[in-house]
Amino acid sequence: MPSSPPVTATTRIAAPPEAVFPYFTDPALIVTWLGDRADLNAQPGGVFAVEVGASPARGTYVTVEPPTRVAFTWGLPGSETMPAGSTTVEVILTADGDDTIVSLTHHGLPDEDQPAHKKGWDTLLSALHAAVKHS
Amino acid sequence: MPRPKSQADASAPDAVLRALADPHRRRILRLVQGHEMAAGQIAARFPLTQQAISQHIAVLKQAGLLTERRDGTRRLYMLRHEALDPVRALLAEFWPDALARLKDAVEGAQPSQETR
Repeated sequence: MPSSPPVTATTRIAAPPEAVFPYFTDPALIVTWLGDRADLNAQPGGVFAVEVGASPARGTYVTVEPPTRVAFTWGLPGSETMPAGSTTVEVILTADGDDTIVSLTHHGLPDEDQPAHKKGWDTLLSALHAAVKHS
Repeated sequence: MPRPKSQADASAPDAVLRALADPHRRRILRLVQGHEMAAGQIAARFPLTQQAISQHIAVLKQAGLLTERRDGTRRLYMLRHEALDPVRALLAEFWPDALARLKDAVEGAQPSQETR
């Protein structure tokens, strides 16, 4: 299946990767920037669940390599067409002097060039709800 | 007054979002991806009244998510993919915004230090 273009985002943070990494794995820290509540089990196959208002994003951790790499799937639970976790968010933390460059890539989003692609709807919606609730 | 579809595209992420926020309407959209269906054909797939389906279709049309074509007495509907562009654009803004919050959270928690 041809992959759709991923959404990417980067930022520079004035802290070392060791300080940034737990913000992707510690429920108490992840809610400071992503979601209102979180249930995280940061090991490959462990649950990644973030509640943003009434919109839950659900998946599992794929990669957990402190302090440089973390990846988790992202989707909407209870969806008839798309179980939790059909898109993947990959994060790479790179030390740069005293700072950390955070590079995030969200793969597997709906592809407008594939009219038959059905799975993306609910994923898009769950991510979108999160975006709107936060804006 | 009907407004041009291009305007719906530019101004309607909220309308698109509201339209998508209903499971029946998402199912309707999935039914009409890539091919037209008459309202009656759509309604036959749901345990809802024709009137309820008509209302859902109206919401989807208003959000620019459906094209409508008359064929004799029938109205045929099909998904308009372009209407999803602003939605995707919103999502593309989501992660940069989230990372900006992450930056604030991490840096706010750091012991104060001069980094440059």
